[in-house]
Amino acid sequence: MAELRRRGLVTAVICSDPFLKLGQNQARTFGVPDLPLLMIKHPLGGISLEDVKARADQVIPKFVDVIRERMK
Amino acid sequence: MSALANLLNSPGASLEAAGDWDAVNQLVRDKGWSDGLPVVPPTAERVEAMLGYCDRPWDKPVGAIPPRYGEATPLRLAANAVMAGCRPEYFPVIVATIEAMCEEKFNLYGIQATTHPVAPLLIVNGPIAKELGINAGHNALGPGVQANATIGRAIRLALVNVGGAIPGSGDMSTFGSPAKYTYCVAENEERNPWEPLHVELGFAREASTVTVIGAETPHNVNDHESLSGEGLLRMIAGTIGETGANDIYYEGQPLVIFGPEHAEQVAADGYSKADVKKYFYENGRFPLGRLSHENIERRMRVKFPERFAKAGLDALVPLAQRPEDFLVIVLGGAGKHSAFVPTFGATRAVTRALKRSDGSLAGSINDLRRR
Repeated sequence: MAELRRRGLVTAVICSDPFLKLGQNQARTFGVPDLPLLMIKHPLGGISLEDVKARADQVIPKFVDVIRERMK
Repeated sequence: MSALANLLNSPGASLEAAGDWDAVNQLVRDKGWSDGLPVVPPTAERVEAMLGYCDRPWDKPVGAIPPRYGEATPLRLAANAVMAGCRPEYFPVIVATIEAMCEEKFNLYGIQATTHPVAPLLIVNGPIAKELGINAGHNALGPGVQANATIGRAIRLALVNVGGAIPGSGDMSTFGSPAKYTYCVAENEERNPWEPLHVELGFAREASTVTVIGAETPHNVNDHESLSGEGLLRMIAGTIGETGANDIYYEGQPLVIFGPEHAEQVAADGYSKADVKKYFYENGRFPLGRLSHENIERRMRVKFPERFAKAGLDALVPLAQRPEDFLVIVLGGAGKHSAFVPTFGATRAVTRALKRSDGSLAGSINDLRRR
């Protein structure tokens, strides 16, 4: 993802709450500290397909914002 | 000026602390540089003594430890080895282990950052294991011997301090594992009726090696009753064939630890190591129906369509994908016990021989002294 960002693509990582710090650390480690981390409610594993879709609904607007910001 | 002084003069390479054990340990705690236990203060003199057993450049990384991808230079590793309480002669094992863990197939990023309770298990083979006094006998996986206690601890400290395996931000293990303090043994080659692990893997018997496995803690198999090899293998296979291990989902190399008495009985009944692995592959299984309906439908049928897409609930689930994927060692002292050690699953074991800088095998730890 860091490599794609460096190449100029619109990028973001979807991340559940407890993994925020790991995501931030990894973004810094890979030299893309401004990589957007789009948060979803934890957990992602062990949930129904319906709940997965709810997570997607939660995060899609955030990703649209990332794309819009880029197009400004 | 010592060889180390120049390196320590570079920015950030060293810091001053009050010359007091309590003050140093307070500093280490404040910085988050420990496993929670007190450390031996890594003074320049102690670190230099540790590096007396490193015949390669002290500032050239032997690998990069994820998730921080910190450069594992011998200098940094030596500081962590001192902190762990290692004797200098242990250091070549630590360097070889870090190198092994940084091989891609070990999947150190996954092992460091996962929610699974995995820790690197070090199995040392060959004459240097004995020279260093690494315990292969009674309580080898437990406390009591400096080499076992501190070599594994040095690896953990390097994983934390160089690799950034900080609980909650780099090490996301749900509840961790006692094996994350130390997990280091030598194989009991003298009581092994089969070829020792390193010879099985293609190394010369006189080579000294370290094999690193991304492992869970062991599950014991008590069997004081079986009088035959077949009986013992059946009991061990029963312990292997349980739900819950990562190995059912991936291509791991789960480990079977034979106590010497069990190994002797199985070998006496004519089983080679290959026979034993085949037995575990064929019999260390459980019926698909012991998994939850959701797990079967959402994972097993999807991930292994050829094996389970249309399988009935009595289809058997193996704990390794191939017979040869089972690893087998002999460990410990007297007693009718063996153990099963599941793994992280998405990892392969890596073995490194202890070698001089010219690539020749080290026959003794003294061959690895700096000249």
